Amino acid sequence: MADENSRASSKKRASAEGDSENNKRSKVENGDMADKYNPYLAHTYENNDMEGSSLLSGMKRRETTARQAERAEDGEYNPWTGQPHSQRYFGILKTRRDLPVHKQRAEFLEMYHNTQILVFVGETGSGKTTQIPQYVLYDELPHLNKKLIACTQPRRVAAMSVAQRVADELDVKLGEEVGYSIRFENKTTPRTLLKYMTDGQLLRESMHDHDMSRYSCIILDEAHERTLATDILMALLKQISERRKDLKIIIMSATLDAQKFQKYFNNAPLLAVPGRTHPVEIFYTPEAERDYVEAAVRTVLQIHATEPEGDILLFLTGEEEIEDACRRISLETDEMIRESDAGPMVVYPLYGTLPPQQQQRIFEKAPAPLRKGGRPGRKCIVSTNIAETSLTIDGIVYVVDPGFSKQKIYNPRSRVESLLVSPISKASAQQRAGRAGRTRPGKCFRLYTEKAFKKELIEQTYPEILRSNLSNTVLELKKLGVEDLVHFDLMDPPAPETMMRALEELNYLACLDDDGELTTLGGLASEFPLDPSLAVMLITSPEFYCSNEILSITSLLSVPQIWVRPNSSRKRADEMKRQFAHPDGDHLTLLNAYHAFKGAENRGEDVKKWCHEHFLSFRHLSSADNVRNQLLRIMESHGLELMSTPFNDKNYYVNIRRALVSGFFMQVAMRESTNSKVYKTIKDNQLVMIHPSTVLDNPYEWVLYNEFVLTSKQYVRTVTNIRPEWLLEIAPQYYNLEDFEKGEVKTALTRVAEKVQRRQAMKGGR
Amino acid sequence: MGPPPDLKLATGQDESDEDDYMKMTFDDPTTTSRSSTSKGESSLQRRLRLQREGEARARVKSKAELASEAEAARERALRTSLLEAANGKKSKGLAMMAKMGFKGGSLGKKAEDEGVEKRSEPIRIEIKDDRGGIGMENEKKRKMAEMAAQAAESAKKVKVDEMDYRDRVRREREVARLERQVHAAQKIAEKMDDEKALADGREPLKAGINSRPLKSVNVLWRGLVRAREEAERDRRMRKDLEASLSRLPTYEDIDEDEDDKRALGKEKKTVYEVAEDLDEEDTELDDFSALEPGEKLKRLIEHLRTAHHYCFWCKFTYPDDKMEGCPGFTEEDHD
Repeated sequence: MADENSRASSKKRASAEGDSENNKRSKVENGDMADKYNPYLAHTYENNDMEGSSLLSGMKRRETTARQAERAEDGEYNPWTGQPHSQRYFGILKTRRDLPVHKQRAEFLEMYHNTQILVFVGETGSGKTTQIPQYVLYDELPHLNKKLIACTQPRRVAAMSVAQRVADELDVKLGEEVGYSIRFENKTTPRTLLKYMTDGQLLRESMHDHDMSRYSCIILDEAHERTLATDILMALLKQISERRKDLKIIIMSATLDAQKFQKYFNNAPLLAVPGRTHPVEIFYTPEAERDYVEAAVRTVLQIHATEPEGDILLFLTGEEEIEDACRRISLETDEMIRESDAGPMVVYPLYGTLPPQQQQRIFEKAPAPLRKGGRPGRKCIVSTNIAETSLTIDGIVYVVDPGFSKQKIYNPRSRVESLLVSPISKASAQQRAGRAGRTRPGKCFRLYTEKAFKKELIEQTYPEILRSNLSNTVLELKKLGVEDLVHFDLMDPPAPETMMRALEELNYLACLDDDGELTTLGGLASEFPLDPSLAVMLITSPEFYCSNEILSITSLLSVPQIWVRPNSSRKRADEMKRQFAHPDGDHLTLLNAYHAFKGAENRGEDVKKWCHEHFLSFRHLSSADNVRNQLLRIMESHGLELMSTPFNDKNYYVNIRRALVSGFFMQVAMRESTNSKVYKTIKDNQLVMIHPSTVLDNPYEWVLYNEFVLTSKQYVRTVTNIRPEWLLEIAPQYYNLEDFEKGEVKTALTRVAEKVQRRQAMKGGR
Repeated sequence: MGPPPDLKLATGQDESDEDDYMKMTFDDPTTTSRSSTSKGESSLQRRLRLQREGEARARVKSKAELASEAEAARERALRTSLLEAANGKKSKGLAMMAKMGFKGGSLGKKAEDEGVEKRSEPIRIEIKDDRGGIGMENEKKRKMAEMAAQAAESAKKVKVDEMDYRDRVRREREVARLERQVHAAQKIAEKMDDEKALADGREPLKAGINSRPLKSVNVLWRGLVRAREEAERDRRMRKDLEASLSRLPTYEDIDEDEDDKRALGKEKKTVYEVAEDLDEEDTELDDFSALEPGEKLKRLIEHLRTAHHYCFWCKFTYPDDKMEGCPGFTEEDHD
């Protein structure tokens, strides 16, 4: 049973062998082995191994065959728990065997045995995300060597739902043999063998385990999405694979670009599984559209009026646009039903910030005909690009594609990271069209000309690493022990200016010293799953006697907006927000709302109802609460003290505002001139206005902001009034007047500096 | 006294900084740039300048101005490479990168890139502030260019002298006047024909749209009838189109049976049969339409005189074909 491929401690393997033969002996050996190996796994494996391995006996790690695995799956007892299989299990097993990947299980295993890195291409619907990790599970037999299998997902929701699905398929309880781990939530136990996790989470873990030694196989799923974390992981794994020859790596991608992955991983072998797709007919418009939303609504209605049965998927860019289109389509459909006997059509919006139960509604069946023998009903889903790859909705036959999506973009020159409506790529357009062919041949209506498709769309969407601020990434890489950032072998290295900005920002935050080495503060900041500026603010907050409050504010800034402002009752919502308003700004207003929420909770009120009445999002407040607890634990484990200034002290709020400056001194704007509403951001000299959602009434001269929002206008959002003296005092390295260009800002700051000096001189004189 | 003040100004500024109080011209204070203010600025100029600057600062800018200023600032920032910017040289970030071996160009694995394109510039930020579809921007640009080219072309052509112009205008007016008269004569002829038919006990031609094939109408005023019918058809089609949502009215729904059609009032197809008639070729009418308006009018007048004893110029129906009292056939005769 010895494993030739693995060079992990042979002693450990011997004991694992012992386990399967003699439980009594294994108990002893397991104990001492676990000490050096993985203390958390020690106690659970004893009885598990006995039952499990007896059912899997005869299978050699990394030498199994598809036949052996299938026999084990067909068995009466679950090889992983030793419990009898449920009826439901066999039902699911049957559908699993119908998936396209199943046919290639043997081929997959053969390739897997013969290579360290494998590129796997399977279109959506091939079953790769759920099946491949299980095939690996039956081959790695992780109970023998106590090493886990990890499968990464770009999105939290996907990690959770896929883990649930796979737990069902294996007939185990979620969190036991199959678990998941996402930021601020870890649902695994020491029994866990297969772990779904976000790519970001694996990255964080590897900061403390540079070799990822807990894992025997790492599967990067949805690699084609090229998220920031996946790109970094690929680069790291490429390095680790040199050091750890026993580590297996599978890169899974849904589309195209497979050669790029192959080439990047030193010509790794490729296995492709065809998806279950049907042909899709593509239509273009003869001319460019004047208004793509209008055109999209019209196209949906025309499909409904003239095309045979089948659901419609329309891609738009954002919440507001989607809700607007949904309203218009519903209204028009009602009229069509009244006037021309059209079939019924239900319209569902779908976007990231929609509550989960509402997101689930898109899976409901299309409505029945209005009367017997009437025209068939259909559903129409109006979605952002989350329906492009991550969600699979069956029954879609028609896709309407205006060719836009909201994309994050960052430019180091103006230091603005924002979501902008941009044209999609050709790859994206193909992916969207493919959504129409999931159940039967479909049609895709592109609201642009064929010429525009060929000439105006870029080939591939830019990977996230080219569109992001990298200060967080650079900090992580430093912590991961990457010394040479310039030659770090990324698939698509970012622009040098982006790297330069990131290093500079970290230097100003004192996370890196002038030589680019990680400082103590930087090391500590990297422990927090937060942006460096938030982490630094949190770490320094005890110096301002308000770490409790800053911890709350940090948590509130880490979740989506807690304010609810429904279209139907904007005025009431604004009135309610006023109740929590603090004259000095939005950060303090957030804090007030949170305190009120906790107050209601402590009084034992129905918090859900309370939130509803006060136009606050219960969901986001609870997750802020959860985040707070997680961060609290990290703070405690690093000995950061939790304290508050007494509420009655006149400096209660001043201290909080000063603490905000310690993290956000690079996000400050000065009013351009008296009685102007325009502010100028410091050093970048961008003209901005304060976002209308602010509670600030007075036009303060100096404000600190959490976020720069770029639409057709430039706004700063979540804003707090600060005093310029604090900038000079708390962040002298950034506010070194010699570095400033001549101008109003420099003049104003010089005046402030002189005032401070005068005051000190007077004090000294006395 | 020296040369006249304006001459002195022209000869050069370096003569003296002293202000010439006899000078008749004034420097425009707005043109004095800030850098030149330290010397050669009188107290009056200075006061004016400060006042103006103060006003400019105090003035509340319009939204459009703000937007364009913000955009200009953004563009300025986006254009300037940080690596080249003046203070880029002493940037700590750049220094750290240089320590790691950065020598300009792009990041990534050392040397041996086999022609792989790597990024040396950040991705541009493009802001979309309308809902124009993909390709709309370029379409707009293309149309603008076309229009500009067209304007240039026509500007070249129009180089006619004054006489030509007057002549042309006069001719055009004459033609327009004749066309109006043709139209009036056609109306009269149609009306009189109908009345006569009614008196003779025949069915009038005009009883309803499409009651008779178009070609049976006298070619002299067939154009009039045809234009009217076309307008009517368009009106009905538009109405039907609006009523039937986005479907073309000719759309045949296979799911509908006869009963459905009756219930929905789709049975009558007559309206669209007109269209077929109207779409037919009519060489006789085409020939007539091609005639000069003067000739058309002549034929109509002739018809009115012979068939109805009506003089278009006298606006009078004479009792017999001698038409006593009518001065003549032409308009000039009636002057």
